[in-house]
Amino acid sequence: MRPSFFHHLHPPTIPASQSRFRYTLGAGGYSVFLTLVLLVSGALLMFYYVPTPAEAGPSIQMITFLVPFGALVRNLHYWSAQILVVVAAIHMLRVIFTGAYNSPRRFNYLLGLSLFVLALFLDFTGYVLRWDEGVRWALVAGTNLVDSIPWIGPGLYRLVMGASQPGPAALTRFYTWHIFGLVVLLLGVGVWHIFRVRRDGGIAVPPPEQRSTPQRISRFELVRREGLAALIGTAVLLLVSAFIPAPLAPPMSEVTSQAADSSAPWFFLWVQQLLKSGDAFWMGVFVPLVVLAVLGAIPYLLPAVKPDELGRWFPRSGRPAQVLALILVLAVLGLTLAAALAPPA
Amino acid sequence: MKIRLFAGTLFLLVVLVAVAWQAARQPRPVALTPTISGKEEYCLTCHADLPEISASHPVESFGCVLCHGGERLALDADLAHSTMRGGSNPSDLAVAGLSCGGSDCHSGSPELQRDHVGRVLTSIQTTYAGAIASLRFSFGAQDSLAARQAIAPVQALHPPAGNQDQRPQYLEAFDPAAESNPFLQSFGENCLNCHLRAEALPGNEYARFTGCAACHPPTAGSDLSEPDRQPVHQLTTAIPYTQCNACHNRGNYDLRTMSFVPRPDAPADRLHDYYQPITQFTRCEYELDCLDCHTRTEAMGDGYLYNDQQEQQYVQCKTCHGTLTEPPLTRTIRNEADLALRLAYLNPDVPLQIGDTIVVTDKGEPMWNLRQLTDGSFEMVTKVTHVRYPLPLVQGSACTQKPEEQESRYCHACHAVER
Repeated sequence: MRPSFFHHLHPPTIPASQSRFRYTLGAGGYSVFLTLVLLVSGALLMFYYVPTPAEAGPSIQMITFLVPFGALVRNLHYWSAQILVVVAAIHMLRVIFTGAYNSPRRFNYLLGLSLFVLALFLDFTGYVLRWDEGVRWALVAGTNLVDSIPWIGPGLYRLVMGASQPGPAALTRFYTWHIFGLVVLLLGVGVWHIFRVRRDGGIAVPPPEQRSTPQRISRFELVRREGLAALIGTAVLLLVSAFIPAPLAPPMSEVTSQAADSSAPWFFLWVQQLLKSGDAFWMGVFVPLVVLAVLGAIPYLLPAVKPDELGRWFPRSGRPAQVLALILVLAVLGLTLAAALAPPA
Repeated sequence: MKIRLFAGTLFLLVVLVAVAWQAARQPRPVALTPTISGKEEYCLTCHADLPEISASHPVESFGCVLCHGGERLALDADLAHSTMRGGSNPSDLAVAGLSCGGSDCHSGSPELQRDHVGRVLTSIQTTYAGAIASLRFSFGAQDSLAARQAIAPVQALHPPAGNQDQRPQYLEAFDPAAESNPFLQSFGENCLNCHLRAEALPGNEYARFTGCAACHPPTAGSDLSEPDRQPVHQLTTAIPYTQCNACHNRGNYDLRTMSFVPRPDAPADRLHDYYQPITQFTRCEYELDCLDCHTRTEAMGDGYLYNDQQEQQYVQCKTCHGTLTEPPLTRTIRNEADLALRLAYLNPDVPLQIGDTIVVTDKGEPMWNLRQLTDGSFEMVTKVTHVRYPLPLVQGSACTQKPEEQESRYCHACHAVER
């Protein structure tokens, strides 16, 4: 069989034991899949969404209730974005817990980490585009965090918001970042990330003489597996999107001073919980940046995983990184849970 | 692998069928573009069975959102209803200015008397100022019977006319918690049920909404607490006495316990059951509806603040019947802009036209259902029941009234019916 364009996007063969689902969890592949769903569904939404404060809410209601299959497309976009955050985090943890972050892959690890941050920014900007009562608190609190940064904060705030408070300029900027700026960055860094996977030698494996099996699978088999994963992923996404609607609230009003829903989007709940215990800048900006820096520093500061331990879960020589990542994950999950379970103020 | 791919495809097909089924279950949107707002709304998708609220508010012109607010595009009940003004009652006085008001609607020109919402805020039915002043005076919280406080703070639309005018310029909010006398605190807790801002007491006989809808929809006697009831979606200016009785004649205040004692019966016979046994009535007082004699500004205010009910209510027997020396005041309708024609238009059973002479009150308010006939006599057409009554005048009758004795008690002395 002559390899098609899609086959050519894959290496001719890859090691069998490292191409198993239980090793990769399919997280990298699913991240690409979800990004593609997001691009297509987002492009469809752009035909109807109107990025002005007066029309944003009504246009989303129009998409949700009146456009044929509009609700399905919007729900697909929403759920793909939420699941992408989880899947990308799983992908990152898989890399850490299998010790795949070492040189020569450590730069690609940083690219991956920046993709994760971009995904979070895309998620947040998309969330704000609803411009309804459900997002007002997060918009005000999130942008006030920017304002709290010493020296550059106020200037950065003006840059993000385009004005001294949320309004048409801010919505235009969030929209432009969401559909253009961040997407271009995501695609650029994403393609670079995928290119570096192959340039850095494909999936991390032990040296040939130390592999448990020399078996490899062909790109035909790999594409078939990806096709199956995409089939299942599509079906699950459709099922979730058809039956669980994406959140929607009344359009943002100037009248009510107290936002009805004073909680951050779920992926920033841990930051919201941190904010309860201290200064906006230190808890809301500094600590998350430290978490990011610690994650980024793992391949540079911690001892490298021994080559013969690569290609399997939880290599002994990668313990420090595994423990560090585990602590961070538990801390973020714990804070998220605490924020989610806290009684409303 | 082929089997897996087949199974995966099958799974996707099943999901696609489920998605199609879910899509087919969604309601088919019903659009309406009201001519006034020009903005499409989809409320009729679910509410097509609601009757039109009144002939003056055709749904093709007004739609739903103009009065009710809400999310006009949402087909999810919770979201669609989330921003409705005043919940199910957009005429609650907290929001009536937005719902019923507006310069083209009921917050219009004061000269043309289209400023209903502003005036009703000054009405004694809204302020409850007389009861509050009377109680506060009785328990030593203020040194005169002059009104100082109301249910909510309010400013008069018209300043008192000169130094002799005792009507207040503004009223502050009555705050029972700030009163030191426990009776006044109890009064605040138990007796503030009968003003236009208050929720009605439970029971079908009290059935009314708040604000404008306390009077204008005929709710009396219906069970408003029934959760699955069909909404009362009707406005009228032909308000029957039964609607007034949702507040009036519904019990007594017990001044010892400072509580409201609801009457236990559900009266049927108007003359014998409805009213307090000691009060006296003439035939017109129990055969006509309240609004056949009482005017719009008596009920809804005229922009002045009043110290109590007696001050705001000025229609007397003589307003219609005149005195020994004077017939009732009259006015001949000269042009189409006359308020009487506008009011009669809303109740077409009164065939009023330019050239007709009607009775007017001391303040010049038209008693537009009291016309002078060609033979010089007067005829009343009742606003709700559409019955024609000849109007007997005092002048030329055998009445022996003294000119200065015009209060109803003097008339009752001879004209009260036996109960």
